[in-house]
Amino acid sequence: MTTTDPHSESTNSTAVEITDIGVDFGHVTALESISLSIADGAFFTLVGPSGCGKTTLLRSIAGLETPSHGKVSIGGRDVTTEPPEARNVGIVFQNYSLFPHLSVADNVGYGLQFHDLSGQRDPEARVAELLELVDLPGFGDRTPTELSGGQKQRVALARALAPEPDVLLLDEPLSALDARLRAKLRVQIKTIQRDLGITTVYVTHDQAEALAISDRIAVIQQGQIQQVDTPETVYRQPASRAVAEFMGNNNVFEGSVADDGQHLETEGKLLPLPETHDRAPGTSLTVSIRPESLVVADSQQGDPAVLSATVETVEFLGDAYRVHCRWRDKSVLVTTAATTPPEGTVKLHFDPEDVHLL
Amino acid sequence: MRAKASRLLPVGIAAMLTTLVVVFYYPVGSVLGSAISVGGRLTLDPLVAVLGDPFYTGSAHSLVTAPASLPERFVAWVNAGMPAVDFGLFGFTAYQALLSTVVSVAVGLPGAYLLARFEFPGREFLRSVTILPFVMPSILVAVGFLAMFGRTGVVNDLLATVGLGPVNVVFTLEIVILAHAFYNAPLVTRLVTAAWESVDTRSVETARTLGAPPLRAFRDVTLPQLVPAILTASVLTFIFTFLSFPIVLALGGLQLATVEVWLFARVQNLELVEAATLGAIETALSLGLIYIYLRFEATQISTHGQGQLRSRLPLFDGWQSVSDPRRLGVFLYCLVAAVLFVGPLVSLVVESLTTPNGAFTLDYYAFLLAQQASAAVGTINPLAAIINSLLFGLGALVLALPMGVLVSVVATHEGSGSRFAEALLTAPLAVSGIVLGLGMLRTLVFGTTVFGHRLTVTGPIAIVAAHAIAAYPFVTRNVTPALSGIDDRLVDAARALGADRPTVLVDIELPLIAPALIAGAAFAFAISIGEFDSTVLLAEGVDSATMPVALERYTANRSLGPNLGPATAMGTVLLAVTTGSFILIDRTGRRWER
Repeated sequence: MTTTDPHSESTNSTAVEITDIGVDFGHVTALESISLSIADGAFFTLVGPSGCGKTTLLRSIAGLETPSHGKVSIGGRDVTTEPPEARNVGIVFQNYSLFPHLSVADNVGYGLQFHDLSGQRDPEARVAELLELVDLPGFGDRTPTELSGGQKQRVALARALAPEPDVLLLDEPLSALDARLRAKLRVQIKTIQRDLGITTVYVTHDQAEALAISDRIAVIQQGQIQQVDTPETVYRQPASRAVAEFMGNNNVFEGSVADDGQHLETEGKLLPLPETHDRAPGTSLTVSIRPESLVVADSQQGDPAVLSATVETVEFLGDAYRVHCRWRDKSVLVTTAATTPPEGTVKLHFDPEDVHLL
Repeated sequence: MRAKASRLLPVGIAAMLTTLVVVFYYPVGSVLGSAISVGGRLTLDPLVAVLGDPFYTGSAHSLVTAPASLPERFVAWVNAGMPAVDFGLFGFTAYQALLSTVVSVAVGLPGAYLLARFEFPGREFLRSVTILPFVMPSILVAVGFLAMFGRTGVVNDLLATVGLGPVNVVFTLEIVILAHAFYNAPLVTRLVTAAWESVDTRSVETARTLGAPPLRAFRDVTLPQLVPAILTASVLTFIFTFLSFPIVLALGGLQLATVEVWLFARVQNLELVEAATLGAIETALSLGLIYIYLRFEATQISTHGQGQLRSRLPLFDGWQSVSDPRRLGVFLYCLVAAVLFVGPLVSLVVESLTTPNGAFTLDYYAFLLAQQASAAVGTINPLAAIINSLLFGLGALVLALPMGVLVSVVATHEGSGSRFAEALLTAPLAVSGIVLGLGMLRTLVFGTTVFGHRLTVTGPIAIVAAHAIAAYPFVTRNVTPALSGIDDRLVDAARALGADRPTVLVDIELPLIAPALIAGAAFAFAISIGEFDSTVLLAEGVDSATMPVALERYTANRSLGPNLGPATAMGTVLLAVTTGSFILIDRTGRRWER
């Protein structure tokens, strides 16, 4: 496995190629028609609300779900009809799913008997090596019941990695852990992934986790892919209103392009648009403005890039305040790093270039 | 009801322990005591007499009578080419229990596969039906098998219509073992299904992604998680069939006697010391087995609350699915299971409604009501037996319910309470009904002198007490999960809202455990209605006979004619009462497991 910069796609070969797959459960369509290519060595995250089909997609890569149509290739090999044991993937589930009757070492070593690893390594040495990797040296003789949640999940990770899989599949691996441990283990997973350069598909419903950990993100909603891009792009330039709202507390305004072509007519007011855009006057338009793009400040009258809003609720986040305001009939969210919480009527400034057209 | 238990609890425990000492530990202790004492002097003579008797222990008797000759006997045996060894009555009892266990597991395991891995209409119902054997009197099962396989039974009637037969399988080991399988295979199915359902589907899938083919993943991941349940069920089945009494008595007779049946015969011959010695040895053996059982039960791996249930395959998924070998096997199994499980019960009802010539009749039911007229000597009045059964059932219920609830309260207490409760729950399981009945007969019914007063207890009271002893563990097993399932915070919340402790008990806790109480009560009633082992010893003459006792007498009494008519009619009534109890349990006690 070669370690290359996963961001520069042109130089990368494709590790996982999904072509037009669909999955039906009886009369329910879980996945409609999905195509994706995942670059070699990338940390690729499938994110979406629960029930959107992201886990079904992951399970289809593993061979645990049989698509009703479409094709799955791993490393250039068509594995659509292959059973899971023939795909050389490693999977980690949310609830660890350690074999309760086997020791930690036997759990980690279980997959080695089915794989002929290059280098003729001693299985015991390989198990020790992996326990070292996940920071659990000497835990081999314990039983899964003696471990904490975070330790169990690291054993599950070691078990999945032991046979040197082509792809590592992680299905909400951190969701059963408490917030502090989640953040810690997230960094550990990311570090191990980068050190090994292993192609990783990560499923989560937590957009913040997706943004923090991924090279690329696929946002899935209702069995369909909404957007595939880098975390930065998905966050700053969501492809649709649904993505904008899912990727975190975006302020969305609906209206139409004013006659001058420079403003959005919404809620009976004109909001300035970025200088260059391709929308014709009169067409209907939806835009989003991120909460951190709005600035609470005093302002001169008549500046169009200002919303005059009323503070309704303030949440203190430690490093910032999240302010819930009301502007006309809309609720507007603002994050501000001010040292005292705003109150009463406030002016919300924004740079027209921060207005994102959907 | 936990930490802040009322002051009544110690009083209740003291009352219960006193009751147990009087009606359980003292009677049973007197039986065990007479195995190691003669005329108040400690001696091993009774034990040596039994263990040294080739009739009881076969070739092993020389272990006791001539231990020094053992090595040369062993050499002689090896030189003779190691011929089959006879281990006497104890050996035979263990042998038939072992065979019964193997057959029960063989019949029960495919059932667990069916229930755990396939989806079909009626699956939930079938699953709950597996508790039916717990409430079904075993003498009823025996009569059902006679109605099916007996000389004039349904199978022979069917064979006759095609010009074959008759087949005689009554009084063979095979039918005894089949009846044991009827009784115990559902237990195997129940325990293994529960284990199978708790196997985390994700761990099987993980094994697959790590490279294990389906059968290998089953062997490596699923099977090891089933083995403790299979072993637990096997040991329980072995205990039950080792102590089995009415089935062997009715279907095997004295020529296939087990220890329990022989013990009963000794009591009937008034050879009470020999009976007591047998009972002591038997109790020691079953205690040993129960110890093994508890060890196995403790090794059950708990994946509680973690496992994700594997989705079940539809049993029938289009006509193409029928050719799937797994489904073919399951269909074949269903056919066998229908004959084994449904056959005897249907035969029972059919035989109760037909004359030996096959014509419809209600005469046998009329007999149940009109027995007073034909007062044959030694024949049990059926109407009186039905009334006795119902009265004893109510009495046992009144006694068993508070006892069972008390043990549940103790069991859910923090600390040593649960161990104490476990001992209270296990003791009745370890002592067979015959031993308890014998003990009560010798001490309570025949009388005991306390401080110069001769105290005696009548048969009916002893019967009710014996039934309550047999029944209260079932109340506890229903109530404990419900009680421990009550979130302490509910009580705290109610008290914070202003309710005092007794009000919380009435408003919050009782409604929450009410279904379990009803299920426990139905269990206790059903256990009492079906109890045979101690009742048959304690029922003086014919006055206190119950339905199961009457059933056995009608089966054995050839003077009533070659057909089973009266027995099957009485059996059908018993079946109706049992089924009623089962429906009540099923509706109210769904959480009841094991």
